[in-house]
Amino acid sequence: MFVSLQLLHMSVFSQSFSPCGRFLAAGNNYGEIAVFSLSAALSPDASEASQKPILNFTAHDGPVFSLLSTDTHLLSAGNGEISAWSWAELIKKSTKAAWTRKPSYETSLEIPEINAMIINPKENSLIVGGGDNNIHIMDMETGIFKSVLKGHTDYIHCLCFKEREEEILSGGEDGAVRIWDSRTNRPVHCIEVFKYEECARPQFGKWISCLATDSDWMLCGGGPSLSLWHLRSMSPTSVFPLPGCQREAVFYQDLIMSVGEGPHVSHCLHGGTVKAQIPCTPSSLNTLALNLKNTEHRVMTVGGSSHQIDVFTNFSYRAFSLSF
Amino acid sequence: MSSDAVKKRKPKVIRNESGTPETKRGRAEGDQDVRVYNEEVELEVRDPQQDYMLYKNTCAALAKLMAEIQELKAGGAKVGSVEIEERRTQCSVHFITLKKLNRLAHMRLKKGRDQTHEAKQRVDVLHLQLQNLLYEVMHLQKEIGKCLEFRSQHEEIELVSEEEFFQEAPAEISRPHVTRDDQHQLTLARLDWELEQRKRLAEQYKMSLARKEKIQKAIEQKREYLSSLQPGLQNIMQASLPVQEYLAIPFEHMQKQAEVARHLPPPLYVLLVQAGAYGQACDKNLSVSIRGDVDEAKALSRPPEDSQDDESDSDAEEEQQNTKRRRATSGVQLDDKRKEMLRRHPLSLCVDLKCKDGSVLHLFFYYLMNLNILTVKTKVSTSADLSGAVSAGELLNSESLLNCLYASDHGKETPNPANRYQFDKVGITTFGDYVSDLGHPYVWVQKLGGLQFSSGGAQSGLTGSALSASHMERTMKLLRGRLQARLALHKQFSSLEHSIIPVSSECQHLFPAKVVSGLMRWTLMSHQEFTELGFVQHVLKAGLVHETDLFFMAAVERGTARLLAAVVMNPRYPEVAPLFSLSLHWKGERSGRTDDNLRAMESEVNVFRSELQGPRPGLQLLTNQIQRLCVCLDVYLETESQVCDGSEGPKEFPREKMCLRTARGPSRLKPFKYNHPQGFFSHR
Repeated sequence: MFVSLQLLHMSVFSQSFSPCGRFLAAGNNYGEIAVFSLSAALSPDASEASQKPILNFTAHDGPVFSLLSTDTHLLSAGNGEISAWSWAELIKKSTKAAWTRKPSYETSLEIPEINAMIINPKENSLIVGGGDNNIHIMDMETGIFKSVLKGHTDYIHCLCFKEREEEILSGGEDGAVRIWDSRTNRPVHCIEVFKYEECARPQFGKWISCLATDSDWMLCGGGPSLSLWHLRSMSPTSVFPLPGCQREAVFYQDLIMSVGEGPHVSHCLHGGTVKAQIPCTPSSLNTLALNLKNTEHRVMTVGGSSHQIDVFTNFSYRAFSLSF
Repeated sequence: MSSDAVKKRKPKVIRNESGTPETKRGRAEGDQDVRVYNEEVELEVRDPQQDYMLYKNTCAALAKLMAEIQELKAGGAKVGSVEIEERRTQCSVHFITLKKLNRLAHMRLKKGRDQTHEAKQRVDVLHLQLQNLLYEVMHLQKEIGKCLEFRSQHEEIELVSEEEFFQEAPAEISRPHVTRDDQHQLTLARLDWELEQRKRLAEQYKMSLARKEKIQKAIEQKREYLSSLQPGLQNIMQASLPVQEYLAIPFEHMQKQAEVARHLPPPLYVLLVQAGAYGQACDKNLSVSIRGDVDEAKALSRPPEDSQDDESDSDAEEEQQNTKRRRATSGVQLDDKRKEMLRRHPLSLCVDLKCKDGSVLHLFFYYLMNLNILTVKTKVSTSADLSGAVSAGELLNSESLLNCLYASDHGKETPNPANRYQFDKVGITTFGDYVSDLGHPYVWVQKLGGLQFSSGGAQSGLTGSALSASHMERTMKLLRGRLQARLALHKQFSSLEHSIIPVSSECQHLFPAKVVSGLMRWTLMSHQEFTELGFVQHVLKAGLVHETDLFFMAAVERGTARLLAAVVMNPRYPEVAPLFSLSLHWKGERSGRTDDNLRAMESEVNVFRSELQGPRPGLQLLTNQIQRLCVCLDVYLETESQVCDGSEGPKEFPREKMCLRTARGPSRLKPFKYNHPQGFFSHR
């Protein structure tokens, strides 16, 4: 099979499912976004052509590190800018952005990237974190960036939101997990994971590249091992012995799924054991996404250092791959 | 009647019966007393009906008498009684009557028959006459028919139409007063006129022939005169050669070439004409010349061109004959057949492409007559002596120099599909075995010679000269480009082997001033060795490696770190960029598959190559790529100190490069992009 040079050096950094759950959008390091039709790829008479995107366009100058879907729009983050695309339009193959907004940055020599985006549903605001070490909050209706949360000393890798307490968690290159109150926009806690001996892995580094929460529990990992924390006591309860640095982890039913360096998806139990490591095509993974909105197309997709995105219909093995 | 009968019984009567008249007459003469009794005459008199009645009566009387006799006999009368005797006598008389009647009946019958017979004969005769007449009638009718159908030869002669005839013919012939009325005469007259005309024309023809003869003779004489002039002219041409050279008009040379060119096979001729035209019009540095044995070529063209089958048949015949004399083995026979099939035309073309730096690419084009394909052999002659570069051995190898001039044009197989059948006949399985001997049959060579084979791919509607002309410019440019690229690579390789990366002044801006990592090793690899490397499997799986590519291994070192780069170079460099795959040996072994930063370095060199092309025609791509690799290694090693690993001591690689941020994005990539002229590194 002939793979062009560009495809050979492509990396997929972000994924997002459409609100109806029938489409998957993926962003790569060339700034392109590809929209795949899951219903076509999962149908019984799927062919090779149905594993190709229905739409592939260049959205940004720099790599698309983060994608997020609201009820109507797909938000994509490029070099210092956020663009919104209407899902309805995308499905009709129109590539005109609904809007593009830029958070205000201080430095001007290098435009910082945006690594993570989450939505605060209560206030209908978008929270982004990226290369300028700050968290910016934008009001979705007006598009104005209303606040900036400063505190990290190095760039922000990941964000997540605790709905019950309305708290924002952010993990950064400086190794700190900071917890912020979204109503007051003030920092509440700061956990320096690398200082905890059970988790720390000095040979890798101290950065935190993945965060996930489930009510009182928090997962974090990166340079330090992936660990499960009890937030009220602010202590790690289990540490997962995964070899590489994890880049994304999610809670799913009673499992923890995580991807990172290494060509596999790790299934772990809350107790700290690694139940399974499912092999996949890319040699290292950047993003994992679960399609929970649509029961027909309940799949897990992972992407990483390859132009192929693996699709798992049964989470225990790879079914097929979509290809850019 | 019975009284007559009695009367007749008594005298001796000679009865004249028609049966034996002579004998009866004889007896009649002897016996004068005898009354001639002609019963036949009597026959005519008597009435058959009456005779019939008589007969019936006689029979009845007889029956009655018999009955009486019977009665009498039954009554007991004696035999010989008078009544019986009387009756018996009467019976006898009746018998005689019956007999006479019988006779008469017979005679009547006979007479009747005779009459019938006679009548029949008469009828037959008449019938016969009728038949004869009918036959004659038919015959005459046929004759009449034939006569009517008769086409006289004179009708086949095309005669001039009547009006013309009357107009043209002189009066003695046309005789209008007679012919206007009489069709027969008219036809005769027309025939006469026709004859007259033909005679006249025959005369004219004879005269023309005679004139033609005369003129022929005159022409012959003049020709002889002209040919006698030839030697004189030759002398003049010879004498004028120095003058030509002085004036730089190679007139003589061109004429000689044209002379020889007449014996070239058609594809070579097309190539000669097109290449010469292109050279004159566009490219002063291209020259074409013909080499080879002209006499052999003339010998080839003189006997009628046997088809290839005939040749092989006659070969077979000869061989069969020969086996009687000397036992040639079948292997030798097959060998001979093969040699025959692969025979080259004695003439070949030599095209020289000169480059600006004085090196020349010689292309020798051969025509394989039986296979109808052109092949090419190459030779490079350079102004400066090329030496020193071990790894460059393959670059100017004449076998592979022109590989893949156009994509996937390997020149290992013959492009003419008909050759497959010819090969089967003589047991040649692959043409590739003979390629080193005969030259490479590249597809572009066929196109330059105007040969178009329907072997897949887009077919243009051009053939012959038009096809050749449409490809000439592009091919010549590609050839020149190829030679220059190879020569440049040659020079580059010799300095790479000395661990110097030659970066020209135009490309200095692509790299920072200080580059610490250095190239330690540059070696050539074989395809086999390449496929065995562990860190190149992704490239092999992606289908980006072909057997015709060149493979190299570069080793860049800094301190304890060693970066191995496996390079795949497509023969069409620099159109197709070399592909690098990296493996770093430093505190363990990492490759582009395991380390995202190494993968980013591979992208830097492979994907963003357009920045590294350098000035046209982009011959510095490779060296720029290697230099960039060194720069990236520097950045990689210098920024690899984020860890607070608690290890004391100075870092092995102090930070010297100016970077704004050392990690960016989810995969924490290092800044590999160099910004000029600010001189710092940033991320893509």
